[in-house]
Amino acid sequence: MAEDVKPTRKNLMAIEDRIELSERGHDTLEQKRDGLIMEFMDILDQAQDVRNDLNEDYETAQRKLNMARAMEGDVAVRGAAAALKEHPEITIQSKNIMGVVVPQIESSKVKKSLDERGYGLLGSSARIDEAADAYEELLETIILAAEVETAMKKMLTEIETTKRRVNALEFKLLPDLYTNQEYIEQKLEEQEREEIFRMKKIKEKKEEAEAEEAAAAEAAAEAADADADAVAVDE
Amino acid sequence: MSQEIAVIGSPDFTTGFRLAGVQTFENVPDDEKDDALDDAVERVLDNENVGIIVMYDDDLDHLSRGTRKAVETSVEPTLVTLGGGAGSGDLRGQIKRAIGIDLMEEDD
Repeated sequence: MAEDVKPTRKNLMAIEDRIELSERGHDTLEQKRDGLIMEFMDILDQAQDVRNDLNEDYETAQRKLNMARAMEGDVAVRGAAAALKEHPEITIQSKNIMGVVVPQIESSKVKKSLDERGYGLLGSSARIDEAADAYEELLETIILAAEVETAMKKMLTEIETTKRRVNALEFKLLPDLYTNQEYIEQKLEEQEREEIFRMKKIKEKKEEAEAEEAAAAEAAAEAADADADAVAVDE
Repeated sequence: MSQEIAVIGSPDFTTGFRLAGVQTFENVPDDEKDDALDDAVERVLDNENVGIIVMYDDDLDHLSRGTRKAVETSVEPTLVTLGGGAGSGDLRGQIKRAIGIDLMEEDD
């Protein structure tokens, strides 16, 4: 609030410094926001492709699993699922996109050969193998989707934060600072005008006093001259 | 540190993933989802070894508001849903909020 600020030259200078800093920060944050949105658009295209692959892979995997269930029976499929020894592992590393740390997911043991699966060649059928293959492929797409979608979530959070900061500067902080600056400038101008007026008044009074003094001195001199003339006439 | 993939859902949903080697799973039968799904999700969220959670998109409707928000916004572990349209969890809504337009609008 402008009324809370003391209208002093020191405060005006401090506010001008803050305005300069805020304007610079606002420009930088705007550039960051635009840059993040551009990076986000690139990831979005990738995400949409991955999403389509994910839906397709899921449908295929489900179809193959249903086929295996229908042909081999639910118990056989569950038995094969329970026999698996190797499990897929993921390692999450990070990379930096415009200050946002996004994950890079490396996977291992997702795709397995028949002998790595652990349920034995004789105990299963080609349909169960096909279903396992399809689900392994689906897992690879899921890992890719997790990487891309986590990056998107993190970037969206950063975009939202940056947008809020830009808006706070643009619609709250800077207008308040401009109002305060204007208020102090007006007050200082008013004080300056009052000062000039006061100086003028003092000057006028001083001049009046000097004029009165001069008039009095002149009158005294005239009176003295008149006395001197009168004495000379008497003599 | 290596992490695992976890699957939460009905036994029908998790079987396929177990066939691909996923060992961390929570089986919640369809008729128990309203009562038991919240606990299953919270257990997996608390598991530090889990890096990715896989769920069926419609199952999110069975979660309580708090748990749903926690799992949708979680980055570690991150949620990937299957069977839904555009993106996992509330990704579409988040895009609308952050960018201002619905960039994941599907072409009908």
